[in-house]
Amino acid sequence: MIQYVSMKIDGAIFKVPKGSSVLDVAIEYGICIPHLCHVPNISDLGACRLCIVEHVVEGRSKVTTSCTLRVQEGMVIKSNTQKIKRLRKNIAELLVSQAPNSKAIQDIAVRCGVKTVRYPFRNDNCVLCGRCVRICREQWQAKAIGFVGRGKDRRVKSPFGVKSETCKMCGNCIDLCPMTITPCDGPMKPGEEYLCGKCESQLMEAESAVDQCIMCGLGEGFQCARH
Amino acid sequence: MQPQPLETLLEGRRSQPHQLIEVLQDVQAQYGYISEEAIRTISKELGVPLVDVYSVVSFYKAFHLNPRGKNVITMCTGTACHVRGAKLLLNQAISQLGVQPGDMTDDKLFTIEHVNCLGACALGPVVTENGSSHHHMSPGKLRKLIDALRARDEKPEQEADHA
Amino acid sequence: MPEIATHGDLAAYREAILARRQSLKATIAVCGGTGCQASASPKVIAALLEALKARGLGDEVHVRTTGCHGFCEQGPIVVIEPVNTFYCQVGVEDAAEIVEKTIGQGQVVERLLYTDPVSGEKVRTESEIPFYVKQKRQLLSLNRRVSPKSIDDYIAIDGYAALAKALNGMGDGAILKEVEASGLRGRGGGGFPTGRKWRECLEAPGEEKYVICNADEGDPGAYMDRCVLEGNPHLVMEGMMLGALAVGASKGYVYVRNEYPLAVENIKAAVNQARDKGLLGKGILGSSFDFDIDIARGGGAFVCGESTALMASLEGRVGEPRAKDVHTVVEGIWNKPTVLNNVETWANVPAIVTNGSAWFAGRGSGGSKGTKILALTGQVKNTGLVEVEMGTTINTVVMDIGGGSASGKAIKAVQTGGPSGGCLPADKFHLPIDFDALYEAGSMVGSGGMVVMDANTCMVDVAKYFLAFLQDESCGKCVPCRLGIDRMLEIVTRITEGKGVPEDIELMEDLAETMKETALCGLGKTAANPVLSTLQYFRDEYDAHILNHKCPAGACQALITYVVNAQNCNGCGKCRLACPHQAISGSKKEVHVIDDALCQKCGICKSECKFDAIHTI
Repeated sequence: MIQYVSMKIDGAIFKVPKGSSVLDVAIEYGICIPHLCHVPNISDLGACRLCIVEHVVEGRSKVTTSCTLRVQEGMVIKSNTQKIKRLRKNIAELLVSQAPNSKAIQDIAVRCGVKTVRYPFRNDNCVLCGRCVRICREQWQAKAIGFVGRGKDRRVKSPFGVKSETCKMCGNCIDLCPMTITPCDGPMKPGEEYLCGKCESQLMEAESAVDQCIMCGLGEGFQCARH
Repeated sequence: MQPQPLETLLEGRRSQPHQLIEVLQDVQAQYGYISEEAIRTISKELGVPLVDVYSVVSFYKAFHLNPRGKNVITMCTGTACHVRGAKLLLNQAISQLGVQPGDMTDDKLFTIEHVNCLGACALGPVVTENGSSHHHMSPGKLRKLIDALRARDEKPEQEADHA
Repeated sequence: MPEIATHGDLAAYREAILARRQSLKATIAVCGGTGCQASASPKVIAALLEALKARGLGDEVHVRTTGCHGFCEQGPIVVIEPVNTFYCQVGVEDAAEIVEKTIGQGQVVERLLYTDPVSGEKVRTESEIPFYVKQKRQLLSLNRRVSPKSIDDYIAIDGYAALAKALNGMGDGAILKEVEASGLRGRGGGGFPTGRKWRECLEAPGEEKYVICNADEGDPGAYMDRCVLEGNPHLVMEGMMLGALAVGASKGYVYVRNEYPLAVENIKAAVNQARDKGLLGKGILGSSFDFDIDIARGGGAFVCGESTALMASLEGRVGEPRAKDVHTVVEGIWNKPTVLNNVETWANVPAIVTNGSAWFAGRGSGGSKGTKILALTGQVKNTGLVEVEMGTTINTVVMDIGGGSASGKAIKAVQTGGPSGGCLPADKFHLPIDFDALYEAGSMVGSGGMVVMDANTCMVDVAKYFLAFLQDESCGKCVPCRLGIDRMLEIVTRITEGKGVPEDIELMEDLAETMKETALCGLGKTAANPVLSTLQYFRDEYDAHILNHKCPAGACQALITYVVNAQNCNGCGKCRLACPHQAISGSKKEVHVIDDALCQKCGICKSECKFDAIHTI
């Protein structure tokens, strides 16, 4: 028998199955919490930190990722405070400055309210969200790719840099990669990166997007509950 | 000294995934690096996916995927050594040997490395050469040390060439 | 049947050792810690043994190779017991004289005594040396009395008596109550109340529980755990056994850092001895308590000092931290409840059990009880390990115990707490060393590293150093840590190159808050502390770099030029030979010249010059 617990997100009370994560609940009930490394039905890593929320315990609030936080009876979550918005914006800024050529990441950045990027753009094609690694490992039991190296040298690679014998050629790693969602028209040339804001309709509207969902195209790519 | 065969190192540890790091430590100690072949064998014998063994080897500083020079010069760059001029020593080694930390010289005699603290902070700056430590180092002392090691190791080879 | 199977056996064993040792004429304790080993103490030991043999004293005088005595600057250190004559900087050539004069004739070898730098007089014993006088060496003093390789030495100084007491006569939960009442807090950096941690583990569901000793001492500039584990492994093991008894664990692990081979060797030997004697294994001292310890070596990763990463590493995986919404006391290693404490924390436990919580709580200040071992290093005269009561001021440690600046230049700051801590300026030296006071001042006690910096140290460069360290050691899993440190380092590097803009400060503060709040583990959460604390106390140095493009300390390569001061240069040619880039020219006995085009600003010439003739502008 499924056990249910009652918890609060942004003031609304939910009765949800024990064991689910706060992010699961939010997605289920249409509360828009931006996220990147989370993929339904595979384990959560807590790497991108975009899905942060405030978890209020005995009057003190603690910032933590909603994807790794399991629901508990009487839990109080705030997903959209000024503080969370500010921190989330800063994280999105770090991400988009690293990989400006990803439409998915540009959209997240704009939706989180990033208007200007204060760091020099880089042209990485991976933000180590680990979607590929986990789908390969968990859905297909292939374990063909993994995280290699550490810190700034961390990469997604197959052992010894050659195609792994265990690869099943399923292509899921590519399907799930946030970099492979069709980029904006006219991909940016290296050294000419900027934040266009066009994918996420116009910047003016996007400003209010965090509070009021505009049924963005992004939601499809990220399994937003409204789609 | 002849390194122990991998078989011996795996003794009593087969099919125990949690022994991975211990086995790798022993392989590293015996061979000076961990070869692709060793990684494949360890993966099979311990029952750890190949990618996981590769991840572990690349994650920890103690493991090396490539052979290292005959002499490994390790500069401690801990805070205490840093404020006493460890950077000078690194500069000295880099310019004297012409390689960057982590790389081996062309003659395979030297590899320079830096470690984030050796725990001999009171005696800084500290340099270890093949495991034995030298304290209160200065660029001049380091230059002499490297010269001495080079003189020691270059000679026998030349003699061997003549013979 | 093992040799020590009951309480009676242990007591009898101790009596027997003491009786045997009564006949000894003297004991020579020679420091064999890593510091003194580097200064050739093994050769001194060999020479002493030979000299004793030559005089036929081999059986009457015992030479004990001990762990670190703390005063590493003066190593190798030799102490003659029972008269406690303290010799420092002993060389191989001194061995025969020590045996001849001190052992043979009871005289003192004046030249080997320590000279008090203030009075200029020779002092004979440890208790007269200023470095030791203001300390309270609760744990470190034991190092001198035992050889780490000898369980007999440990038992002789009442070792395992706390365990015997706990197993014989202390009621259920009594150990835990004592530890809770003692106010002991974690010595590894967090300062979390040890008793509370144990209580949570005890109350966590599940039969199978574990205790772990964290000896992955990665903080650069801290090495007290190494010395305790290396010098007195049985003390740490006894602490772990008491902890296991309190929370109901029957298995323990010691996770030792890869860079500490001697510590691995000593703890392994200690575990084997304890197993042989019956102090580890099934039914310890005739009770129903089963316990065993395994040793694991780290792989060289700073992040493995974080509890969840350490446990992942122990399980043979990549040392990546996980989210700690469920604590390790509930789900630790193998997903079982686990108590993880640092070496020094475990080492404090036996004395609390033996002497009672009131004894322990009677030392220290407010919320920080007991003593703390500090690693005093950097630009200070007396470097080494210092153990003081918590609440002692920084000033006492740096000036009185440390003897002040080594270079003669004014001491500018002290860096405490490693990469997670901060830099405190000289005008904060009145602060007491306790968890809360240092935290409020923007730093922390951390594991106890204290790196003293003088006017030659550039604080922006220090911030850059720590960021580079953390960039190297971050596991790279989460965005705020990986990219945040990377960007922060990019900004600080820009500043040290004179390319910073005033807005950079604000950007760093904003980024620092993001990292602090959102990073996955302690490493990322505290990564910005060195930047924040230097910004708080040394803002003028940042401004000098940004606004005037100058490095006041003359440390930032891009902002300085090396020049020869013609007045001081006597043309010895040392710098010309030392320069790896052939940038210095000049004939013998004439003033040398540095060619700016060739100079790589490595600074080697300046450090080699004996006449202070090379300056930076």
